Amino acid sequence: MGKQATEMLKGVLEGIVLAVLAQRAAYGYEITSWLRDEGFADIAEGTVYALLVRIEQRGLVDVEKVPSEKGPPRKVYSLNEQGCEYLNEFWRTWSFLSERLEQLREGKN
Amino acid sequence: MAPKWIEVLTGSLEQKKQWRAYKARVAGFPSPYRESVDAIERYLLYAGGSDTESMMTMLDDLADLFERAAADGTPVHDIVGDDAVEFVETFKSNYGIGAWIAKEQNRLRDAIGQAEKEQS
Repeated sequence: MGKQATEMLKGVLEGIVLAVLAQRAAYGYEITSWLRDEGFADIAEGTVYALLVRIEQRGLVDVEKVPSEKGPPRKVYSLNEQGCEYLNEFWRTWSFLSERLEQLREGKN
Repeated sequence: MAPKWIEVLTGSLEQKKQWRAYKARVAGFPSPYRESVDAIERYLLYAGGSDTESMMTMLDDLADLFERAAADGTPVHDIVGDDAVEFVETFKSNYGIGAWIAKEQNRLRDAIGQAEKEQS
């Protein structure tokens, strides 16, 4: 992934993570692995963790501690009602941006 | 280590206990996770800008991240990415800021607000 892609991704990573969590509850490592599998290879686990910390503080997710075979309990995140509303807003913003950019590319503005 | 910040801690026994518990916990991490946490902790303490409570929450969360990574065997590079400073700055931005920097930010907003008013 190039530098430009990494920079652009930063702005939408929050929306991506919320969209992943809208499908099913997950812990940090699972989310990072999923992103890697989807081709977002440069995303550091710490970056996703920092994001999870933030959306937890803002009350967009519910957190459950689940015991794991080794190491400390895992924090499993699931999207709550407030998070769903925020995700809807993200998709609206995304549609607005992508439509405008597409118009710009086609020279129709 | 971090004498200035430690001075702020004196007076709050609870935070001192929390600090000691955090240090003891990190001391038990295997290499190179322990060294990585120590390096990030050093940066956070010297970079400052946080109040004591936020700093302690931040360090505990940081320890959670590395404890989990150590258990999973996640390479340090996969956690911090290509630039450790960028990771720490992103991480840090989620937590509260110190009273002094908040005061300066308000002062800047007021000054610019005043300048804008004079122009209108």
